[in-house]
Amino acid sequence: MAANGVSRSPGRLGRKPGRPAADGGEERTVRRWRRPSGLRLALSAVLFGYAWLAASTRPFTFMSLLVVLLPGAVVAGVAIWGPPDRIQAPDRLDIAGFSWWLVIVAVLFEWEAAGFRDNSPWWHPSLTELIDPIITPYPLRAIAFFLWLITGWALVRR
Amino acid sequence: MATRVITIIGFCAVIIALVVLEIVARRPGSRVPALGEWLGYLMRPKTGRVLLLAGWLWLGWHYFSR
Repeated sequence: MAANGVSRSPGRLGRKPGRPAADGGEERTVRRWRRPSGLRLALSAVLFGYAWLAASTRPFTFMSLLVVLLPGAVVAGVAIWGPPDRIQAPDRLDIAGFSWWLVIVAVLFEWEAAGFRDNSPWWHPSLTELIDPIITPYPLRAIAFFLWLITGWALVRR
Repeated sequence: MATRVITIIGFCAVIIALVVLEIVARRPGSRVPALGEWLGYLMRPKTGRVLLLAGWLWLGWHYFSR
């Protein structure tokens, strides 16, 4: 872990932005909802158009691989050469609060691993086995692809 | 049949727990970090950034390419 991410006080992995290090008083920065700009709406429309086209590719084909790798390359390029204005990350985390997330994510992985270990039998399906039929219909697949693209953009802004 | 239902209920419970935790995290004064906050924290070092973006790419490949 980087030196700037090391906990400096007991019970704390870090501090949230807008909060003081030790003594309370300052509240966490509240992000207000803003009306999306025209540019953002236009970009969303472009991304959804891409997702709509990408959802039409058949799995296990070169095209289906390409439509996934292309956004991956764009995101990697943006992250390396042209990072956007990033959302300020906290320099510390509350370890007790964060442990709630750790527990639930660990349970999710355990539940998934149990199904995966048994080769995803019908009586213990993996998450993939359950999600695949949901995103098989074309519009839902396009929406899922669009959400995946948005998630990538949200990650690169962190 | 019962085992399959239990598995599905388990996944649903975990997903609901994640949503509830995010709602709790967004309450003023909450000690629980929001999803974006702890992901941002993990992405501060370059290694964490690369790993999380690789995980995102893997998800896309897993669900849409195969």
